[in-house]
Amino acid sequence: MSGDSLSKWLMIAWLLPLLGFVVEIFFGYYSRNPRRSKAAAWFAVGCIGTGFICSVIAFTQWCSMTGAFDGESGWLAARVHAHDADDNDADDNDADDNDADDNDAEHHDGHSGHDDGEAKGHDSDDSSPSDAAGAAEAPAEEEAASDEAAVLREGGHLLAVAEDEGDDHSHGHDGPKGEFSGVIYTLGTFGGITLSMDYYIDSLTLVMFMMVTLIATCIHLFAMGYMSDELTDDYVDHFAHTADGKHVHRPGRFYRFFAFLSLFCFAMLGLVLAGNIFQVFVFWELVGICSFLLIGFYTERKTASNAANKAFIMNRVGDFGFLIGLMVLLTYFGTFRFGDTKVDGEVVEQGLFSMVTRDATGNFVRDDITGEVLLTDTHGHALTEGGENRTIPYMLLVVAGLGVFAGCVGKSAQFPLQTWLPDAMEGPTPVSALVHSATMVAAGVYLTGRFFPMFVQEVLLTIAYIGCITLFMAATIAVVVTDIKKVLAYSTISQLGYMMLGLGVFGWGAGLFHLVTHAFFKSLMFLCSGSVIHGCHHEQEMPKMGGLLKKMPITAITMLVGVCAIAGFPLFLGLHFSGFHSKDAIVASALAFVNANPTHFLLFFLPLLTAGITAFYMFRLWFYTFWGKPRDQHLHDHAHESPWIMTVPLLILAPFAWLCAFGGEQGYLYVLITGNDPSHLHDGVQAVTTGGLTLPGHEAVHAVHSQAGWLAMIAAFSGALLAYLLYGVGIVDLDRMKAQLSKVHGFLLNKWHFDELYDSLFMKPAHKVAAFCAWFDKAVFDNIVHGFAKVGIVIAQWDRVFDEKVVDGFVNLLGDSTKSIGNSLKVVQTGRLRQYVMFIVLGVVTLFAFVFTTFPS
Amino acid sequence: MIASIMETVLSPFTFLLLFALSSCLGAVGVIISQSLVRMAFWLIVSLGSVAGLFFMADADFVGAAQLLIYVGGTLVLLVFGVMLTASSPYTKIEASPGETVIASLVGLLFLFMVAGTVSRIDWPGTNAAIANVTPASTSGGFSDTSEGATLRPLGFALLGVRPDQEGAPGYLLPFEIASVHLLVVLVGAAYLARAKRRRDVA
Amino acid sequence: MSDLNLYLYVGAFLFVCGVICMATKRNGIGVLMGVELVLNGANVNFVAFSRYSELKLDGQVFAVFVIVLAAAEAAVALAIALNFYNNHLTIDVDRGNKLKG
Repeated sequence: MSGDSLSKWLMIAWLLPLLGFVVEIFFGYYSRNPRRSKAAAWFAVGCIGTGFICSVIAFTQWCSMTGAFDGESGWLAARVHAHDADDNDADDNDADDNDADDNDAEHHDGHSGHDDGEAKGHDSDDSSPSDAAGAAEAPAEEEAASDEAAVLREGGHLLAVAEDEGDDHSHGHDGPKGEFSGVIYTLGTFGGITLSMDYYIDSLTLVMFMMVTLIATCIHLFAMGYMSDELTDDYVDHFAHTADGKHVHRPGRFYRFFAFLSLFCFAMLGLVLAGNIFQVFVFWELVGICSFLLIGFYTERKTASNAANKAFIMNRVGDFGFLIGLMVLLTYFGTFRFGDTKVDGEVVEQGLFSMVTRDATGNFVRDDITGEVLLTDTHGHALTEGGENRTIPYMLLVVAGLGVFAGCVGKSAQFPLQTWLPDAMEGPTPVSALVHSATMVAAGVYLTGRFFPMFVQEVLLTIAYIGCITLFMAATIAVVVTDIKKVLAYSTISQLGYMMLGLGVFGWGAGLFHLVTHAFFKSLMFLCSGSVIHGCHHEQEMPKMGGLLKKMPITAITMLVGVCAIAGFPLFLGLHFSGFHSKDAIVASALAFVNANPTHFLLFFLPLLTAGITAFYMFRLWFYTFWGKPRDQHLHDHAHESPWIMTVPLLILAPFAWLCAFGGEQGYLYVLITGNDPSHLHDGVQAVTTGGLTLPGHEAVHAVHSQAGWLAMIAAFSGALLAYLLYGVGIVDLDRMKAQLSKVHGFLLNKWHFDELYDSLFMKPAHKVAAFCAWFDKAVFDNIVHGFAKVGIVIAQWDRVFDEKVVDGFVNLLGDSTKSIGNSLKVVQTGRLRQYVMFIVLGVVTLFAFVFTTFPS
Repeated sequence: MIASIMETVLSPFTFLLLFALSSCLGAVGVIISQSLVRMAFWLIVSLGSVAGLFFMADADFVGAAQLLIYVGGTLVLLVFGVMLTASSPYTKIEASPGETVIASLVGLLFLFMVAGTVSRIDWPGTNAAIANVTPASTSGGFSDTSEGATLRPLGFALLGVRPDQEGAPGYLLPFEIASVHLLVVLVGAAYLARAKRRRDVA
Repeated sequence: MSDLNLYLYVGAFLFVCGVICMATKRNGIGVLMGVELVLNGANVNFVAFSRYSELKLDGQVFAVFVIVLAAAEAAVALAIALNFYNNHLTIDVDRGNKLKG
């Protein structure tokens, strides 16, 4: 087995949705009854489901290649157990944890039971008690290391850099990297630049693949039920009106919806698989266009098409920065590739990641004289060109990082480009689920994580602050919003802010950990809200709901799971909700960071406060919707539980939302994600950087972990309690409170006036400029053009006179004279033979006479 | 005396004159007579006399061809035409007298012109040659033909060989073209004259 | 007057007679006869020059060709005359003036 077969499986998983898209878009319409057939949906589900299976197969291959589960010495198991050994309390619990966690982390439990990865997983479980009881950390690690070396010698494609092993230990990240990179297809070579489709596979790629395909499969299934009212030739859109005030009637677009969903999945998977930053950009834009198509799916609604435009244009703003970043990178590094290109284990061309090296303090290695950042080879030695060290100015590295991050800001709806995401709720709810969990917004965080090795301290601090502002702002808005989907939308922004914050404070693993857990519980909650909306006949306003617990129990319970997960509730026996682990990790990273840098205290206190707000507004949503007495009896009477095709995805996703992070930072998921952790921080060292920041090491984070956990838990519980008192019990009159706090309420309801701000900052000046341009156009350009036109008319008139008098006259004269000559000559042509003979004779005689007189003898 | 007179009268020149006069008379007869049949008769006379003239000029083959083709072939053809086109009420088709007069005047003018031309030319080479020429055999050498035996040289000439004149061109190609030409004429004439439904004249 | 001149005069006379015949006859076949006369007049000249000049055999060859062509011409012209007669029920050449100017 080699990286080739691994990449093949992932490529199948990647390309299947494209096949689905092509088939659905080109053949869906031509099927016998395209408006009523569910064939397109089943085909799409088949494609993405097969993609999930392929991802799992690829994952098992990767595991066996990197030796992740090679008995007790597999590096993954070893790391999990090593952490177990650290924990002094509740060994038994942890063993149980591992058992369940194993199943979760591999994701193939109950789907494809034949995988050998599972068997290996059980092997490791069997050995875990003895391991946990006695094995020390060091021997297990050494064994793992020797195993890697063996794999390297056999494989050759394995990029886990054997020669870097010593560095690995000194830098304190002890798992094998397990990266594979290569070229799928070379598009072309332009001078020194080679544009190619590459792949870059590491543990993060695989986790993302499995997560995206699983969630997308569930969403596809759900959408089959949710979009079933499109299965008609005459769909009545109650939210769109024609000019005469009637509802819009149009043919159903069921197959088109699934075609777009498939394309969306293809784009996202391509983005995850991409092996160079330019390829990422390509799929980045493809994701953007897909979201445009899907948000504006109900094109007849003005709001929907506006929202689609807004999403697209906001993303363009970020992508502009992205492009600038790409230019800087290409200019100084000369390549777009992430990983090194290797032939038979020898590096033939370096990728971006290996060209910069961080020293023990977390800084990039710089040139001693110029102070610019050195470009290095894989061993950390400076690259030279013409006898001089190749360097990149530090400022430009900052610019490149900020540029790439600007793209992520747009895509992940961070401050200040966050306004498109709530509007994107205009799309069908399954789209919202897909956009807000696994695909579009995840792309931004994913790229920030993927590109992490290239970010310098200043950029990371910016990322942290942007995330911090975003998470607080969005959470406060979510408190007052009453549209069920918009609450979830703002919570998404807020949670994305958490991820960005985590990445920014060097909690690389924490941020991406939260990305995965959030994807599960947010997709679950969106699907639940979709189920509610479907059951309530497209009513989205929470104040009209209430008491739906009995009407739709499955939806309510699964929603509660999601709410608890996002609120970050712990539970007994270590069965904590996934959000508890991931949010803890982020808060702990933030706390460690703030401990080291007290000036940046906001980076800890705002997330902590927001943890409470999060719990508050999520429980507010749940109580509002499912608890208490029905506020709209009519709506309540007609509400119903959704059909099985919509509840089954909820039941599939709920366990994942609850338990996917099982074991927390000692669980398989976290260990797997951090298998290729690029945050090179020395364990237990507080590294001082030139940017004036002190970076905490892993040990420092670990030290404050329980403290942060407790604080976050208290915040969450108090938020939930407040929500229960206000909305569950109703101790105060909400309307009176609203009136008393009308200013704050209005401020929040207007989304901190961001839309107005942008309106006056950009829209109005743009309109002014446009009006001036229009005036200028009419007053100046039009007159010039009209002048030219008038001159042209005059010239044309003169030309006409000349044409008629001179040219036509000459031609007519010619014709007339020819005609008159013919008329006068035709009398000769009498048609009488004898006369002709006479003419001939006379002619001959005349000729002779002429000759004789002219040439006498 | 009588014998001498007879010899004088029966000399070649006498025959020459006789043939010349008869041919001219025949031609005049063709002009004057109005009936087609008479015209044909006078034409026979004229063409036959011309054949005699050819014989007198030692062109025995051409004269024979003249008799065979013209008198025997073409005229029969013409008579066929006369018979086929003779419409039942022998409506007189003749030109107006004025026309006839003008045509005769013009013809005479032409005749004077040609005859004047002929008479004004003194054919020096020709006259010199006349003295000792024994026609068509002097430069022969190829065959010992007697006077007027031009058949063999003509045949050779038409086959591209010129025994009488070294290096002179043969006539094989024109001969072949003429044969093809005749074939085409045959087909064309058959096509043109084929029996058709007579179209009514408005 | 030499023999040659006699021949030439006869040829010229025949030629002119043919021309006058063509110029005076309204009958199509009469016109044809005029053409024959014209050709004969030319032929007489050829043969005369063949006999009395350096033209020799070539004159006779030409005469033969002229005879051949005259025969061909007569055949085609007669076919045309028949056609004309079929269309006009007469062979008055003055009737064939459809194309006059």
